[in-house]
This record gives sequence, structure tokens and C-alpha cells, in this order.
Amino acid sequence: MKSAVTTVVSAADAAGRFPSMSDFESVKGSFDRAKARLEAAEKLASCLDKFTNLAVDAVYQNGSYEQANKDKCVRDIHHYLRLINYCLVTGGTGPLDEWGISGMREIIRIQLLPTAAYIEAFIFIRDEIQINDVMSQQAETEFKGLLDYLINALA
Amino acid sequence: MLDAFSRTVVSADAKGAAIGSEDLADLRKYVADANKRIDATLAITQNVSCIAADAVAGMVCENTGLTQPGGHCYPTRRMAACLRDGEIILRYVSYALLAGDPSVLQDRCLNGLKETYLALGVPTSNAIRAIEIMKIATVAIMTETNTGRKMFKGINSGSGAQCQDIAAEAASYFDLVIEALS
Repeated sequence: MKSAVTTVVSAADAAGRFPSMSDFESVKGSFDRAKARLEAAEKLASCLDKFTNLAVDAVYQNGSYEQANKDKCVRDIHHYLRLINYCLVTGGTGPLDEWGISGMREIIRIQLLPTAAYIEAFIFIRDEIQINDVMSQQAETEFKGLLDYLINALA
Repeated sequence: MLDAFSRTVVSADAKGAAIGSEDLADLRKYVADANKRIDATLAITQNVSCIAADAVAGMVCENTGLTQPGGHCYPTRRMAACLRDGEIILRYVSYALLAGDPSVLQDRCLNGLKETYLALGVPTSNAIRAIEIMKIATVAIMTETNTGRKMFKGINSGSGAQCQDIAAEAASYFDLVIEALS
């Protein structure tokens, strides 16, 4: 699975060489950011249910979506936030790409669920929830970067 | 291929749970020890040919028949293949050490290695002996307990005495190689 370290190792292996100084530098760079990432992952894990419920309630409040689908929406938003939690841990977009994005849009469509609802929910989490109450500025930046990535992928 | 981070992710996903504080403790240690890990990996990459050549030479010294006509390291072409394999195994051990996870070693190096050696007529007992020597040498270099000159420069963490845990981890990867060939 793609992460800072595995990317470096794959490239070195493809060339049949030992990890070089520049490989070590890039691994070190990812470790420097790791503290903020792990903090974001930890705080997100503890607020997963809260964020999900706030976002889904906000999306369903205006009545433009069928209430019958609300449970599915809760399930999926929760699933996506869990994958973002994984991405924060690995330091790459591997988990979202492999388990959340490839094929997911098709599945959402075939269940006749509107992808716009998901996008609204994630935009709500990004813009409306006071994330910096629970995590530091740097951790928030890491989290929001992944939310943006997911929003773009679903749009 | 997995690393310490993605290994945690894969096992959390099997349970369908998010990764919380408890699971993050090990990863925080991995991050905190990153400089030592890089130093320990450097200890291998800076001394590859020395470690591999010593191990193969040691193996031959213990079984002098190997380089005689009819021996498995005769002619030199076969001896060269032996040195090359030593370096390849060291390379995968260095990847595994950097990633903090043995999956790259298992998937890309050990998978089918024993079968290949059997098919080529390589005596696995001698190969295992060479790997044992590589393990001992690598650990000694990492922990700076080797005799003679200091073999690597700890650019990040300073002294090799702090690399005990990582050296033990590296030894466990060599043990996996030995296990795969046994």
C-alpha cells in the first residue's frame, strides 16, 4: 500500500539499488510531518461518530434528500472518515484510493444515492465544524487536505 | 508491500475500526526512533560488500572443499553468484528495516527462494551459514560492537549503542531468511 516509505522502497527495488541518501531524506521528511498526522488520526478517531452525525443532520435538514436513505448515508460517511483516519496514519492516499475511491462512485450511483449529498456532507465537515477545537492547527491542515482530496474525487 | 503504518491500517480495516490512541502508541515509537532506524539502515548500505564478502569467505573457510573442483563455489562464476545473492538478501533486509515490516522481504525475496536454490543445486545449509555470518556482522556493525574500526557513521542518532532494539529487529529479518531456507 502506498505510503512515503513504500514508495521509496518500490522505486529503489525497481532500480535494484540500495536506499540512497535522497531516499532517506524523503523518508525523514515524512516522519517530520508524522506527529501532526498521528495527532489528527487520533482526534478524528475519537470524533468520528460526532462528525458523521453533525454532517448528515446538516445535509438532511433542508429536506432535499429522501429521509429513507439517511442510514446509508451515515454508514458511508462513517466509512469515508475511517479511511481518512487510515490515510492520516499511512501518510499517503493509499487507503482512500484502494478502498474508497476506485469503484465507489459507481456503487453510490447504482444504489441511486446522490453523490452531491456526500460532497455536501464533507464540505460541511471541512467548513462548518469547529475542527480546531479538537485538534491543533497542523493536524487540522493534514485532515482538511485529505477531505479536499476526497471531495475532488467524488465531484 | 506494507510498512509499519500500512500494517496497522490493514489490521484495523479487518476489524472495520478506526485507528485510535492504543494502536498509535507503537507507531509513535516508530516515528520517534526514525533517526536510529535510518542510521541502522545506513550501517547496512555503507558496508554491503564488506558484509557479503566476509560472510561468503567465512562460509568457504569453514568448508574448504567448496572452492575445489567439484565444489559448489567452483569455478569463480559460481562464487560470484554467491556474493551477488548475499548482496541481494542484504538489500531486501535493508528495505524491510527501513519500512519496519518484513512484507517486502517475504514477497519479493524469500517467496520461492528455497525452491530456486534446490532447482539450481545450491546447498541450502551453506547458504544458511553465510546468512548467519551476515546477521552477526550486521548486528555488530549497527551496535558498534565489531572489532576494529567503526564501520558506519551515525549521522542522525549518534552512537550505535542506542541502536540495540533496531539491531534486534534486523536480526529478526535475517532469521526469516534462515527460516525460509530451512
